[in-house]
Amino acid sequence: MPGELSRAAAIVGAAEANEIGYPETPKTALQLHIEAIKNVSDQTGIPISRIDGIFSAGWSSQIAEHLGLHPRYIDTTSVGGCSFEMHVHHALAAIHAGIIDVALVTHGESGWSSRATGGRGTGRPRGSGDPWDPGSLFSNPYGISGAPSNYSHAMTRHNHRWGSTPEDFAHIAVVTRQWATLNPRAIMHSRDVHPQGGPITIEDVQTARLVSWPLTLLHCCLVTDHGGAVLIAKPEIARSLRTKPVWIAGAGESMSHSNMLEMEDFTATSAAASSAAAYRMAGMGPEDMEMAMVYDSFTVTAGITMEMLGLAPRGEGFRLWKDGHAAPGGRFPINTNGGGLSFNHSGMYGMQLLVEAYRQLSGTAEDGIHGLPGKQTKARSCIVNGTGGSLSTTGTLVLVAD
Amino acid sequence: MAYNKPIPDPDPLSKPFWEGARAGKLMLPRCTSCNRVHWYPRHICPNCHAREIEWFEASGEGRVHTFAVQHRAFGGWAEEVPFVTAYIDLNEGDRMFTVLRGVDPNKPDLNWIGARVRVEFEPASADVHIAFWRVIQG
Repeated sequence: MPGELSRAAAIVGAAEANEIGYPETPKTALQLHIEAIKNVSDQTGIPISRIDGIFSAGWSSQIAEHLGLHPRYIDTTSVGGCSFEMHVHHALAAIHAGIIDVALVTHGESGWSSRATGGRGTGRPRGSGDPWDPGSLFSNPYGISGAPSNYSHAMTRHNHRWGSTPEDFAHIAVVTRQWATLNPRAIMHSRDVHPQGGPITIEDVQTARLVSWPLTLLHCCLVTDHGGAVLIAKPEIARSLRTKPVWIAGAGESMSHSNMLEMEDFTATSAAASSAAAYRMAGMGPEDMEMAMVYDSFTVTAGITMEMLGLAPRGEGFRLWKDGHAAPGGRFPINTNGGGLSFNHSGMYGMQLLVEAYRQLSGTAEDGIHGLPGKQTKARSCIVNGTGGSLSTTGTLVLVAD
Repeated sequence: MAYNKPIPDPDPLSKPFWEGARAGKLMLPRCTSCNRVHWYPRHICPNCHAREIEWFEASGEGRVHTFAVQHRAFGGWAEEVPFVTAYIDLNEGDRMFTVLRGVDPNKPDLNWIGARVRVEFEPASADVHIAFWRVIQG
């Protein structure tokens, strides 16, 4: 039986910034936010002034001020790329509690443009550790440099423990690229968009430049710009709009650690716990899911996640791609936008997951701008799982079509 | 040659570790209430939440839990690529991160997982000696 919060609210619209990926003129994060917010307001017909709850990964007050809003609910949860799935969870609870009627979840991040303008750092010296975060004193001095250099340790352990190989995981990159060729906004859509774009082979993935063995460059996600926004509303409003509602049947979140030093099992994430909570709320199980949007910061992230969501046996998540099920036309589509691997990844990818899940379940995945024939699936339910930090934090949503 | 890689800025919480490192000893924190060793150092025991934590000299030995070979790095580490990083299961329990020595980074081998390792300390400055782990035979 579904939990009390199940379907207490719906995602009623999802939009992106006007230009994402590698913009010709560098964009600020704020600009990406505001473009997406204006677009989702136009799409749904909900005036920006109707928004009474704001949810973003750390910038909620600046964004609300920019919009001239005085929201009743302000959430700045910022725990990595899964933050946006958690925002949906929190918005669901706030709407169910009667505190707000319309929630805005918003994302803007200039992963690409900030490189172009040289404005990257947080001001902290790289690598010396931060006494506020004592674990970092004992990991940062050892030459690791961001996510790829850490996630590779999980792939090695998976290969050792489950007998998988890097080639097994390379199938995830190859199949995800197939989806990207159906999405004109994907950076790797074609050679017209990017010199390395278009279809790839297992050999391409395995012979690409090594970043952090066993991860080659093509096992790793992109670094791009992205802005995205979704609006979430209570049922009475959701049913009155010109856009289709996509119901939040279940939501859950969890974490296993912050620093990878505390990751007990390098082949497991807290998605087992966050998805259990989401399934429980939905009164549904893995067998009821018809597609998945899962965070693919790296091929290994996506593979392990499918195991955690109960959609593949332990050690065999990669098989969904290797056996072709996840591909266009397959029985269980995964990452139909082309993923963080080949569509867009701005640093935190959770919003991209939400936008595509909304489009798929509202039947707008081929709206002439964001999809080519073949991208729209027949799925009526979608599990969405964000993963943040160093395989640290997870947020899971079970979404269903109206 | 001067140590050209990031040097941690020791905090009061980890002071006994850095004192031990200068003397070539691996010091670890242990909760006297539940007797479990934890790494990194904490204000309270992460297992039973007691405040009573003591430091003791550990064996300095462990085994490789998992590893990766870094082909891209920044600062002083950029000059060292490729190099091997590893998580070490300490004989006394819990885990440390390190740059692994005594293996060929150009021939990564899954059999390194489970290999026995011993700690060694490298002076990075007068005050800070950094722990590295080396694969040993047997």
